[in-house]
Amino acid sequence: MSILKKLLPIDIASGMKLTGKYFGRNFFQANRSKKHIHITVEYPETPITIAPRYRGRLQMLRDEQGEIKCVCCLACEKICPTQVITINKGKKEGRKTPYPTRYDFEMERCIFCEFCVESCGFDSIILNHQFELAAYNREDFSIGMDGQFQDMFRVSPVGQYSISSSATPDSPDYTQ
Amino acid sequence: MMTPVQQVVMAVIQITVLISIILLIVPFMTFAERKVIGYIQVRLGATRQAGGIRGFAAGINKLSWAMGRIPVLSFFRGLPVFAADGLKLLLKEDIVPDRADRFVFVIAPVVCMIPAFATFAVICFYPGTLFVFPDQFPIVGGLPFTGFLTDISVGLLYIMAVGSIGVYGIVLGGWASNSKYPLLGGLRSAAQIISYEIPLSLSLLAAVVLSGTLNFRELSIYLAGVPTVTAAGAVVQMPLIAAIPLFFGFFFYLTCGFAETNRVPFDLAEAETELVSGFHTEYTGMKFAWFMLAEYANMMAVSAIAAGFFLGGHYLLPFGLQRFVPDSIPFLAQPSLLFFFGKVFFLLFVFLWVRATLPRYRYDQLMSVGWKWLIPVTLVNLLVAAAIRFTF
Repeated sequence: MSILKKLLPIDIASGMKLTGKYFGRNFFQANRSKKHIHITVEYPETPITIAPRYRGRLQMLRDEQGEIKCVCCLACEKICPTQVITINKGKKEGRKTPYPTRYDFEMERCIFCEFCVESCGFDSIILNHQFELAAYNREDFSIGMDGQFQDMFRVSPVGQYSISSSATPDSPDYTQ
Repeated sequence: MMTPVQQVVMAVIQITVLISIILLIVPFMTFAERKVIGYIQVRLGATRQAGGIRGFAAGINKLSWAMGRIPVLSFFRGLPVFAADGLKLLLKEDIVPDRADRFVFVIAPVVCMIPAFATFAVICFYPGTLFVFPDQFPIVGGLPFTGFLTDISVGLLYIMAVGSIGVYGIVLGGWASNSKYPLLGGLRSAAQIISYEIPLSLSLLAAVVLSGTLNFRELSIYLAGVPTVTAAGAVVQMPLIAAIPLFFGFFFYLTCGFAETNRVPFDLAEAETELVSGFHTEYTGMKFAWFMLAEYANMMAVSAIAAGFFLGGHYLLPFGLQRFVPDSIPFLAQPSLLFFFGKVFFLLFVFLWVRATLPRYRYDQLMSVGWKWLIPVTLVNLLVAAAIRFTF
């Protein structure tokens, strides 16, 4: 019996059956426009699903009226381990709480620990889901409240490196 | 009757057609290898070119991204990669290692490649005339274009003889590189190929014993189970029970064929984990491409021989079961080039399938499989075939 077991390549046959099953499934169904069966992602063209707790770039939020939610309590500035946040307090007509006249974020030294978001008592900042943060110049990592290409309120423009027509920085899949 | 000039011109035309078919299929195999193994590993395989967001490569990438929407074309999205592969191999620097044996180093890939292509000289793709040249052609007008290059009576002997020369290329390449890993790879390959030559010959011998001829064309027609008329006028047909040794012989032959072509799971000659890349570690550029061409051409030759001997050749059904197809069916009962190439492509796919499935054997396991198991079972297979030949 053991000789028969050695002679007949049963293990090889079962292995071939398994890989053949996967080949058939992927060969006939792995098409981009249909349901995704393959586990890899065609990255720059197809948006990637990101886990909800992913910590990306720091972003400031506005409320329903378009007002900046930050009230300059300086909690984030104080708790930041690498001291990348700089806030200047200011006043604005018709607003009771203080208003940030300057909110600078130096991403080159940020360690994405999310302490600032946790310390914020007004839910006025988040770490968004953006992970394509590379830049050609060091100055591009200093993000302020107003900027030519990126500021604290919008995600950084990235979709320009994609060859697909559907993936743009403004598409909902891309910016999360 | 053909004049000598006509014979030479005809041979040149046939060789050109055959070599161009091989040279078309072999690079395509590298692309198919990426895709098939990708699909088996739940990936997509090659789908794009490396390149920036502007320029030629980006244009190709945009085109292939658009191709992804079309069902059948989406399989061929990475096809430009294989043109880029060939271009890269052509343009790469040709390095000869310091203190290598230059002459042997240069000659080794050629020694490896020529037998791989020469094997196809006797392989019969179609047992007759494919088409006749029209009379307007200057020299070859009115001559038939046959489906085989030569029809020599010792075809199998020629295949075995030529096929065993290829190992010299591997050993010489390993030795001439002046490096220890290629040398070890070459030696391993020599031991492996010489060991597996024996069960390979024995499994083919069963087919020869059954049919009683060494001619590739007659062998494949007889082993397909089709009644044939001999020169003496008698009608001969393979007995049905002979399908048993043919069936087992096919698997023995395929196993030995994997070892002969140095493919996974027998690719000890180029075991990346132990020897850097085996006998072609020091080879670059076109010389490496010749080794690769030889390997894939050998795969094609092994597939063609297995298809012709065991899988019914140019007939539809394998293992001599073609007798069950009645002659009245128009297409399926006739020999066809499509059947032969279909079988060859399926066996080439099996090569890739096995590569994605099985891990590499250890060296002692390889030797034990060859000497302790394959040689006895092929001998038993040969005995069964001889008994069937003697009885029926």
